[in-house]
Amino acid sequence: MVGPQYDLVGNPLGAVHATFERAAEATAAESGGREPVAAFRGKDWGASEVFRSFLFEQGGLDKVPVLDASNLGLIKPNTLVRFRGMVQDMLGNEYYVGAFKDGSTWRTNKFSDFSPFSIPHPCDSHLWERHLFHCVPVPGQNSWTRESSPGPDLRTMSSCLTSEQRDKRKRDADNDAMDVSENGNVESSSPSKKPKDDDVQNSNSSPEISMNKGHISEMNGVDHHIPGSSFSCLVKVYDMPESQVKLNDVAEFIGVYTFDPELAAPTDNSDDIMFDLIEDVTAQLPPSKVPRLHCLVRRNLSAHDFLSKPPTAEPSPILLKGIRQSLLSHLTLVLGKDELAAQCLLLHLLSRLRNKVDVVTVGRLSLNFTGFNRESASIFGNQLNNLIQRLLPYSQAIPLSIEYLNAATLQPRKDNQSGRLVTGVLQLPQGTHLTFDETLLQSGSLTSKGVENTMLLKNLMESQMVEYDFEYYKLEMATDVQLLTLSEGKSNILLSDLIVPFRPSSVPAVNVSAEELESWRWYLATVRSLPQSTESETYQMIQDEMVSAMRDDRSLGCSELSRWLTMAQIMASSFGENSLSIEHWQMVKELERLRKERLH
Amino acid sequence: MASRGGGGNSNSPNSVSSPDVRPSSPLPATNSSPAQSGRSGGRRRRRGSASPYPSSPSLGGFETPPPPGRRTPSGAATSRQRQNWTGRFPPTPSTPMSTDDVPPSSEAGDEDTPETDGGGVDADAAPVFVWGTNISVQDVNAAILRFLRHFRDPRDAGRVDPVMDEGKYMRAIHRILELEGGESLDVDAHDVFDHDPDLYGKMVRYPLEVLAIFDIVLMDLVARIEPLFEKHIQTRIYNLKSSVCLRNLNPSDIEKMVSIKGMIIRCSSVIPELKEAVFRCLVCGFYSEPVMVDRGRVTEPHICQKEQCKATNSMTLVHNRCRFADKQIIKLQETPDEIPEGGTPHTVSVLMHDKLVDAGKPGDRVEITGIYRAMTIRIGPTQRTVKSIFKTYIDCLHIKKTDKSRLHIEDSMGTDNPDANKTAEDVSLGDKVEKLKELSKLPDIYDRLTRSLAPNIWELDDVKRGLLCQLFGGNPLRLPSGASFRGDINILLVGDPGTSKSQLLQYMHKLSPRGIYTSGRGSSAVGLTAYVAKDPETGETVLESGALVLSDKGVCCIDEFDKMSDNARSMLHEVMEQQTVSIAKAGIIASLNARTSVLACANPTESRYNPRLSVIDNIHLAPTLLSRFDLIYLILDKADEQTDRRLAKHIVSLHFENPNIEEIEALDLPTLVAYISYARKYIQPQLSDEAAEELTRGYVEMRKRGNNPGSRKKVITATARQIESLIRLSEALARMRFSEVVEVRDVVEAFRLLEVAMQQSATDHATGTIDMDLIMTGVSASERLRRDNLVAATRNLVMEKMQLGGPSVRMIELLEELRKQSSMEIHLHDLRGALGTLMTEGAVVIHGDNVKRV
Repeated sequence: MVGPQYDLVGNPLGAVHATFERAAEATAAESGGREPVAAFRGKDWGASEVFRSFLFEQGGLDKVPVLDASNLGLIKPNTLVRFRGMVQDMLGNEYYVGAFKDGSTWRTNKFSDFSPFSIPHPCDSHLWERHLFHCVPVPGQNSWTRESSPGPDLRTMSSCLTSEQRDKRKRDADNDAMDVSENGNVESSSPSKKPKDDDVQNSNSSPEISMNKGHISEMNGVDHHIPGSSFSCLVKVYDMPESQVKLNDVAEFIGVYTFDPELAAPTDNSDDIMFDLIEDVTAQLPPSKVPRLHCLVRRNLSAHDFLSKPPTAEPSPILLKGIRQSLLSHLTLVLGKDELAAQCLLLHLLSRLRNKVDVVTVGRLSLNFTGFNRESASIFGNQLNNLIQRLLPYSQAIPLSIEYLNAATLQPRKDNQSGRLVTGVLQLPQGTHLTFDETLLQSGSLTSKGVENTMLLKNLMESQMVEYDFEYYKLEMATDVQLLTLSEGKSNILLSDLIVPFRPSSVPAVNVSAEELESWRWYLATVRSLPQSTESETYQMIQDEMVSAMRDDRSLGCSELSRWLTMAQIMASSFGENSLSIEHWQMVKELERLRKERLH
Repeated sequence: MASRGGGGNSNSPNSVSSPDVRPSSPLPATNSSPAQSGRSGGRRRRRGSASPYPSSPSLGGFETPPPPGRRTPSGAATSRQRQNWTGRFPPTPSTPMSTDDVPPSSEAGDEDTPETDGGGVDADAAPVFVWGTNISVQDVNAAILRFLRHFRDPRDAGRVDPVMDEGKYMRAIHRILELEGGESLDVDAHDVFDHDPDLYGKMVRYPLEVLAIFDIVLMDLVARIEPLFEKHIQTRIYNLKSSVCLRNLNPSDIEKMVSIKGMIIRCSSVIPELKEAVFRCLVCGFYSEPVMVDRGRVTEPHICQKEQCKATNSMTLVHNRCRFADKQIIKLQETPDEIPEGGTPHTVSVLMHDKLVDAGKPGDRVEITGIYRAMTIRIGPTQRTVKSIFKTYIDCLHIKKTDKSRLHIEDSMGTDNPDANKTAEDVSLGDKVEKLKELSKLPDIYDRLTRSLAPNIWELDDVKRGLLCQLFGGNPLRLPSGASFRGDINILLVGDPGTSKSQLLQYMHKLSPRGIYTSGRGSSAVGLTAYVAKDPETGETVLESGALVLSDKGVCCIDEFDKMSDNARSMLHEVMEQQTVSIAKAGIIASLNARTSVLACANPTESRYNPRLSVIDNIHLAPTLLSRFDLIYLILDKADEQTDRRLAKHIVSLHFENPNIEEIEALDLPTLVAYISYARKYIQPQLSDEAAEELTRGYVEMRKRGNNPGSRKKVITATARQIESLIRLSEALARMRFSEVVEVRDVVEAFRLLEVAMQQSATDHATGTIDMDLIMTGVSASERLRRDNLVAATRNLVMEKMQLGGPSVRMIELLEELRKQSSMEIHLHDLRGALGTLMTEGAVVIHGDNVKRV
């Protein structure tokens, strides 16, 4: 039904209303009943089909601008936008008048906040519900991910914005009593967008972030991606069972952007004082700072979706092997020609949580490089961080010093007074990579907060769970992050699975080309999602191997053998093979042998 | 004369200050059929004139015309008002009420004024319906009346009631009247359903109207019984048949009665809501009539009412004489177990009035019955257009705390009243308990429980079984003579480093919430028991409990038991046997309860356990303390291919999801905790006769084993302490099956467990037999025999070779002589020991290295 009469990008609500009215008439004609639109509650009448086919089949995705801190002031309200972010908080359900009768035609309010018509009698209107989610840009998102989907140049569209709206926004920003913290790191990689418009100031929409920026030393000259500091978006999702969206999911929401500053004005209702008493959480998110997005189409994002080009080739073993080799050699160079360390790092970067049996997590491989000191940490650490930032979609580097442990807010906490979840560093999407620099740790004493933070990190390392504090009880949320530690001796706070003494022999000085980076990114994303299947002979063989290993070395225990098996599995998939074979096991044993030599 | 029973008529000049017993309910007016009052127009109407009553959750969200029937002290015609009344409520004599004595003052405001159209209300006897439905108001009225009068609780059937033949609610009403207290009648919705399912259905679907009628009927009844009763009794419905999950509230539930469980996270302060305002004229001081508050608006009278004054705009509000009602808004959040994975909890606002204010505080778990309402939000105070968004809240009718009857993880696993009676509340916990009971009937529940305990710790099945018994515990017994037997089982784990003993301890600590986990090295005697502290506020010395007292009714996990200082260990003696801690220090003499089970874990002094030495020698614990442990497990790291193979299989199965490797179901942690806490609370197994016989038989057997007729030595294989342990273990095993009777198979299993434990720790390696003496005294029977022989030989030697009063002989010489005589290996220190014994007998005297006979 998509004809040229709909301008889906510029006037999506028009398409929504038109299709609704048509559908309502159609059902009214069919059933002849009084309430034709009752059937539409919770379901779609064909509008999202229209959008879906436009976006995905007809390549309309590129025409839709991306909602971002930089272009918040430039986008015209009631147009179609996209927003990529992480679900940071779930704000419950909202009831709105979904369908109402205006005269003799049925109209809908879906996908908008403000109704131009006066609300009619309740008999002629239906209440529907929608879910509210508070989304923020993904914490730790690296800049290369933004290249993948630039929107159209918005400067040409900026003339659409009336001067009045611009002034209004400026006034709001000026009156902002909250701290305006600097924008984390919004480097627009696409040159067409100007980073900031002079009229629009980026403002802090989550004032509760208590992380003290002064304490965080910058590891390599790039600001940390502090969650929530750039901006956030209130997404209203329709028609979807709420359990489909989980906390900390990264998704792309495509929908209608609405801006209704009138709705946010505090109502001084002497009429019914109760309005003020039953507070609305969304009142804390003023529309001038937090845009509202009414979601039409939603899709979850994985690492693949951040790649610029869609994967061209089939992930064949030969192709993967080649890329593996080039990546490995690059890693070796970065790590000062320490091959063992490079091999271990590769295995670590490819690890992901496969299974969870009670408290035992299968598939994780956290890595601890020992033998660093301050200088080497700054040299190698910087290089390593640079590389990781360019390879993985989300990563963060955390300097583990006493001040940091004592001051940082790691644990997300629910503030029952305001009704929102105050975020912490450990509210991370799946697949984030964390690098801890422990060389900054000096002797000192930990406050009680420091002890709590340490326990949180320990829990994260061991069972991949983070406890969220809900004041009267604690809720555990599962995560899947990769943890790398750089320390002088064996780390006592973060007990990693794999401990590798670091023996560099040269200073790194490397350049890489963009294609190489692309291919490596693709490699990492693909290998991590390769399914693993194994034949039953392999089981038997592995068991025999384990038994003989235990016989040779009595000190081997359950955890070590489990780790070997994990490493072997990762090794197998790093070659593109989806089943484990004896050679991989042997390779792992060889690595272990070399590692053990170094330990003594 | 306005009759009290129903005076809808408030115009008579006398009735200004009399409390109006208007049958107005605290809820907004219902709509009657449009035929009667032409102005209903289908909109919800508001009774703004509710007055001495508990304030109503009465803010309708829609524009409503000003309420009719404003109370004015004017002598307006009654008929018009009555007309309004009848427009709304069922009047009447047409209602089939059995009127006994009291004049038929019906609620709907018919009085026997002479002007009355007498049964002029009969003119309106046409059935009145609730707007938009076909619910006839009269029918509902009748049904409610029937219910209130005649409902009898089937559970009370057996009781002889002095006030016989009165319905349950009639009794309740009488009680309220007698006590002159209470303004509410709690009506159990289950009762309504049992009596009249139709009425129940109507009540849930149209709560506002039905509750209004309920109130009217109640007022009528009360007036019938005691005409002078002044207060208005409100109906509070609770215990609906089905409760809704907070998450599942959706727009179709609006204006329906719902029942929700949740946790209060926030309470606002108490908000006074103005109900009646009194004004005073500044010029003449005249106090005006109380002015009703209409939808939050008070119209100030412009003109002073006093005849002489008539000043304009001179009225001012007098706060003290205004009437306020309490109001509070609380936020209810869903309970943690309802939250789906990866989600955050939802909240809903609840509005509380009057008596319900401050009924709950933040952190309480409650169940709320109320009406789900939605209201629009105006965009601005001056605009009439509204946002399309609605705000929702719940009008609370009844609040009940659900803390006590929950099987909750934070509950202590023990109970303070072992004879908890099964009240109706527990039965209503329903399916959770049912599920547990079903689990208990499974034949392999024992194996399942074993597997669910610490699933990540590999093997150690028998140890896990012992730990399970410890969690379930036996029955403490208190005899009338004063002797008491403990019900707690104590377990000691000894073994090589590297086996997961500490992990087991951590797991047990996690499982048993009232437990304390301490490490032996870090504990002092005082810290374990109780210490004296100074109260910061009052400055007095107070006693603070230590670890053992804090873990009363729980499990106290002690790691590195052998590294504990002896001081601390001596405390444990008392705790483990008498289950109390006695303190006499700093002027405080007290005896505290410490009914804990102790789970201790010790490492051998050498790096590995030396199987050739006894348990005592390996871990250097006093045998007296060891004997207080019911089960002593040796966890050895045997280099065994079988175990290695099984370990390998286990690891592989973790990594690969292989359908071949079958996983037998285990219980997850919350179910396990619930199972254990339910069992501990409600199941008290008693020994059956067969079980008692089996016990004695088995015990005698065990002891007989040591007394082989052939051997000369008597090896003790069981002591009286073991019998007690066996009884405790069997009771624990019976509890696992939720069985009130200890059966023979429990006793057999208890024996087996004890054997396994004993085999490991009490086997005399010299002879291979089990010798409890090894644990009791540290010296096995064979050893003792040996020593006795040596003493005898030494005595003989001394008698022969040395003379009374003769010169002293060096010990080394004696040693050589003995060696020549006997074939046994004798060492110097053995000889010293033997000579020491002789010295106590008085036969010899030892000076350094020399022995002299005396």
